[in-house]
Amino acid sequence: MKKFHYLIASIAAAIGMLATTAAFADIKVGVLVPDSGPAGLFGPSSRNAAMLAAKKINADGGINGEQIELIFADAGVAPAEATQAAMRLWKGKGVEAFVGMHNSALREALIGRFNGEVPYVYTAVYEGNSCASGLYITGETPSQQLAPVIPHLMQKKGVSNWYLIGNDYNWPRDTNVLAKEYIAKAGGTIAGEEYVPMSVSEFDSSLQRIKESGADAVLVTLVGGASVGFNVGYAGFELDQQAIRLGTLIEENTLAGIGAANANGLFSSSGYFAAIETDAAMAFAASYKNAYGADAPALNSLGQSTYEGLLLLAALGNKAGSLDVAAMDAAAEGTQWTTPRGDNTMSGRHVAQNIYLAEGTGGEFGVVATFNNVASSDACNK
Amino acid sequence: MSTILLINIAWQVSTLALVTLGLAIVFGKLKIMNMAHGEFVMIGAYAPIITSSLGLATWLQLPICIITVSLVALILERTIIRHLYGRMFDSLLATWGVSILLREIVELVFGRSYQSVPQPVTGTIDIFGTDYPAYRVVIFLFVIFGFIVLAWWNKRSKVATQLKAMVENPELAQAIGINTGRLSAGAFVFGCATAGLAGLLLAPTVQVEPMMGLDYLLKSFFALVVGGLGGLDGLAVGSSIIAGTQSIVSVAYSQTAGYLAVLVLSIFFLWLKPDGIRASS
Repeated sequence: MKKFHYLIASIAAAIGMLATTAAFADIKVGVLVPDSGPAGLFGPSSRNAAMLAAKKINADGGINGEQIELIFADAGVAPAEATQAAMRLWKGKGVEAFVGMHNSALREALIGRFNGEVPYVYTAVYEGNSCASGLYITGETPSQQLAPVIPHLMQKKGVSNWYLIGNDYNWPRDTNVLAKEYIAKAGGTIAGEEYVPMSVSEFDSSLQRIKESGADAVLVTLVGGASVGFNVGYAGFELDQQAIRLGTLIEENTLAGIGAANANGLFSSSGYFAAIETDAAMAFAASYKNAYGADAPALNSLGQSTYEGLLLLAALGNKAGSLDVAAMDAAAEGTQWTTPRGDNTMSGRHVAQNIYLAEGTGGEFGVVATFNNVASSDACNK
Repeated sequence: MSTILLINIAWQVSTLALVTLGLAIVFGKLKIMNMAHGEFVMIGAYAPIITSSLGLATWLQLPICIITVSLVALILERTIIRHLYGRMFDSLLATWGVSILLREIVELVFGRSYQSVPQPVTGTIDIFGTDYPAYRVVIFLFVIFGFIVLAWWNKRSKVATQLKAMVENPELAQAIGINTGRLSAGAFVFGCATAGLAGLLLAPTVQVEPMMGLDYLLKSFFALVVGGLGGLDGLAVGSSIIAGTQSIVSVAYSQTAGYLAVLVLSIFFLWLKPDGIRASS
């Protein structure tokens, strides 16, 4: 008799435990951020923004009624290693969706491994035209950053002769293909185009070429330290008297490295700046400061993008009713939601979003123009 | 050849010589393959940041730079380097570890973000009809003057002669009463201090962040491979060839071609003439 009672009791306990875990089952979301490597600078702000997003999503009821739990992995290591880490999260930890803020090499590797079986939101600014089942991209593309901005700058600043300089890999090259189109359409000319290897850190010959070309505008697609070194040298030769500069990857930290004295006539086009003065952006900045303090890692376009990615995941997941890729793919096109960056619309797996043009003269970014609902022409055809 | 190209070449050669001087002393004279050379340049470049974060006046940047870099070099020398004289490959491994440590410490203290150092001298001045950054002209003149003084000291001073004796025959030098331990330590600290000084002077013209040193390490090794370890003339020859080649080819063709030329040159020298042009006597 006692044995039977024990049996009933243990079955009941087991059922009770299962019921409990089912009721508190969080949706695990894998967040890939660069804690190390060349983009390691953006790791802390990416993490903070992601955690803030999870708090907001959970406060609003989670995704389809279930709370979400973030699990982070380092995307700053080599793609092979980072892919392994992502697979461990997916197969080992039961992650049901991914949000990635990292470089293109890793994105392409992950697309191959995920094979459309798990939803994957890519949040970093990139070269466009990456399409796969289950892949949704909030990151700005060159067409969004340049199509409205180039004609606007040309008209506002009276410039028309552009020099294009970037590092030698696909993002700058793809950007310049589009840039040349927009410049030609606005009646401008190309004074020169050059690509600099990543290992080069002095730009005297490039600056000379810019000076002799008579360009009155420079499109800068250099990255990282090269961008800082180039812009410092540029101002040293007082080229800012000759030509304005426009960059598509010049965020707050790069501007700080360039220095206030060297940022005269330096413009940046991006989906986000910490200095945006819309209600949504300022509310976000305030909640970030409340959560992490005044000395927290500074907000910038790359760091803040994980917040955007998670909100997209929630919006799509809720609209589709599940995190099943087929359901999300079917529901994706036309989905609308609002974030600190403004109103967003899913269009061709990319996001039609606000693009802000900021000027860095004086050492701090100030938004000088806003372009609403800019769709990407580097998006995917449905 | 345009005026601006010639001036740029002069600038590139002189700054390369300035950065490489420390390694020429430490590697050339003491035979220590100092992989942390770039990090001493980096620490020197951070001196203005250190100075302003301590709330000190700007003119104190130079003493702070020399003191900080010399202190780090001295600690390093007394703990690690002094066991490695004559052990070239062990010194390579050890100093590589030190370079990682120094980078991590700087990152811990100042973070990974870029720092900005304002130019002490702004504007451009007219040189032979072309506008050139005034600050660069000041540095160039300083480097020329510094090297003249150094060459004079090398020829005339007793310490320089003792150093030469120690390099040629350490046992004999010790036997006749030269304090080789103190001389080596002094030379090492001096070499690192010049690297720090180079960093301080160049900081307003480049990006300042914990990883900036690696590039200077590479360039310095290229210059020494080509020029050889034979003292100041090896340094002059190596810097001229490397910096001159990169400048000229970059202007004539492209930046890619310029860097490629430097790499090809260094590979050829390592392969065919590993002692460089002015090999140590």
